[in-house]
Amino acid sequence: MVAPMTPYERAIATLNNEPVDEYAAYPLVCGLQRRLLPGTVTYKQWATDSNLCAQSYIEGFNKWKFPFTVTLEDLSVTAHDLGANVRMDKENTPFVDGHIIHDMEDYDKIQAPDVTQGRTGHLIRMNHKVVEGLKDKSFVIAFLEGPLLTLSQSAGAERLFMDMFTDPAPVHRALEQTTKMCCDAVDKIAEAGVQGMCWDYLWGNYTVLGDKEYAEFEGDKYAKATNEATRRNGLGLGIHNCADMPHLDTQINKFGVDVYSLAYYPLAEASPNMTKVIEDGYADKCTIFGNIDPQMFMRNTYEQVYETTMNLCQEAKTALCKRGLNTHFCVSSGCEVPPDLECHIDNVTAVMDAVHKFGAGQ
Amino acid sequence: MSKEEIFEELANAVINCKADLSKAAAEKVLAEGINPVDAINEGLVKGMNVIGDKYAAHQIYLPQVLVAAHAMYAGLDLLLPAIPKEDLADAKKAATAVVEGDVHDIGKNIVKTMLTAGGYIVNDLGKDVAPSKIAETVKGEGIDILCLSTLMTPTMDNMKNTIDLLKEQGTRGNCTVTIGGPPTSPSFAEEIGADHRDNNAQDCVNWLKGQ
Repeated sequence: MVAPMTPYERAIATLNNEPVDEYAAYPLVCGLQRRLLPGTVTYKQWATDSNLCAQSYIEGFNKWKFPFTVTLEDLSVTAHDLGANVRMDKENTPFVDGHIIHDMEDYDKIQAPDVTQGRTGHLIRMNHKVVEGLKDKSFVIAFLEGPLLTLSQSAGAERLFMDMFTDPAPVHRALEQTTKMCCDAVDKIAEAGVQGMCWDYLWGNYTVLGDKEYAEFEGDKYAKATNEATRRNGLGLGIHNCADMPHLDTQINKFGVDVYSLAYYPLAEASPNMTKVIEDGYADKCTIFGNIDPQMFMRNTYEQVYETTMNLCQEAKTALCKRGLNTHFCVSSGCEVPPDLECHIDNVTAVMDAVHKFGAGQ
Repeated sequence: MSKEEIFEELANAVINCKADLSKAAAEKVLAEGINPVDAINEGLVKGMNVIGDKYAAHQIYLPQVLVAAHAMYAGLDLLLPAIPKEDLADAKKAATAVVEGDVHDIGKNIVKTMLTAGGYIVNDLGKDVAPSKIAETVKGEGIDILCLSTLMTPTMDNMKNTIDLLKEQGTRGNCTVTIGGPPTSPSFAEEIGADHRDNNAQDCVNWLKGQ
């Protein structure tokens, strides 16, 4: 029996595989938290006002006492700053609807921008304010698209994948620039005082790229640089990959991460669930975040989410026990909790309630 | 050069991801007066099926599939217009679309490719397509199969809105509706009144062929 811990103590113990009073839990609630702010804050306001955005994370902590806080906005931040057109509807996650690569020459026009401006600058300022509010209360992990995702968002994934195969040299030159942008960003984000940096390396997915392709276009050089920049800044290294077939060996074993957040797709045969990931030894090396289906928050009841969380805690406990681990596990959602107006905020509470009841650690 | 050799050229052009060779072989088909339907089925589709099998076996990955599909379309663009209308009378018509509010179309494009390789006549409506436009197309063109896709949660309701419009205009019964995309599930398909939800394009086409 472990004495009650503060959320922050729980996060640190989790990362160090030490006994915890209960498992850490952090559903990836991001834009949803705008609904905790006074008045009516639209998604667009939340995504463009660093004060509002930061305050929503602080309100999320106040309500749910999250051990971890992952400051994800959306996946169009870096592409927007590279010149892609981003559509910002009033109540929808912003997304790229105008790419910047129209012919091969366009790859050479990509230049790493000043990351203190634009939406990356907004993200940096938001992280400063979140840390001001949550220092020593919650373990704050910043979130940013990795070099290849930044480029695919800017170029269009289909176009990029074809160009990677038919004419890779300009793609590599563009990746040099997106990597520089990511490294510049982590240097600035670190100044905010965050304790970890989580990269979205989405394309490390066997549905999309094999080992050879992933190594060439992200793993061996570009992610290596961003991972090193993260370490150089004294930050914990995290990866989020909500793909159905993530490159676990590369992204966990080779990259040497501290935190790995993954999704589970029960309908995809090869998608690894939490039990398998732990039993295969990946939690020996890092803390695994996962993996309640994000759609449950939208479409299921409090009771259903509560029961799913209870089952996840029990399955993880068995799997961790088999590996002789204390924790290295955080109940999470595998991907962002839908920020929709119709999403049930009480279902986040259901996760936390179930973890309080059934998440007593080893 | 025999008909079979030209078909082999078409298949190999797709397998080797060579759009220029696919186009050149398709030109030979037309110059020799060979039935374009035979050339599509025995050449381009055969090649695309090899690609599909290799992808399923993780011998190749998405970039190669996309480039192979590009090669297939280079040949198809020449051969499809050459098919006599009466030969297409029995072919099923399909429409593909990413629903309004979403522009992520890579999955939809793979479905389009696999449907084409499966012998369907595909009208790709593109991305960010309004339910009313989809419904109008289904009605106006007598679409037999409608494949809807979205990657994002907030736009899932536009799948339901589309199906509701099909019901309103009385075309739902004549049209099989499939959906796809990471946030969707079989239970969501059932909830909104779709016929099917699948994980990948090839399985979806196989399901459709079994109907």
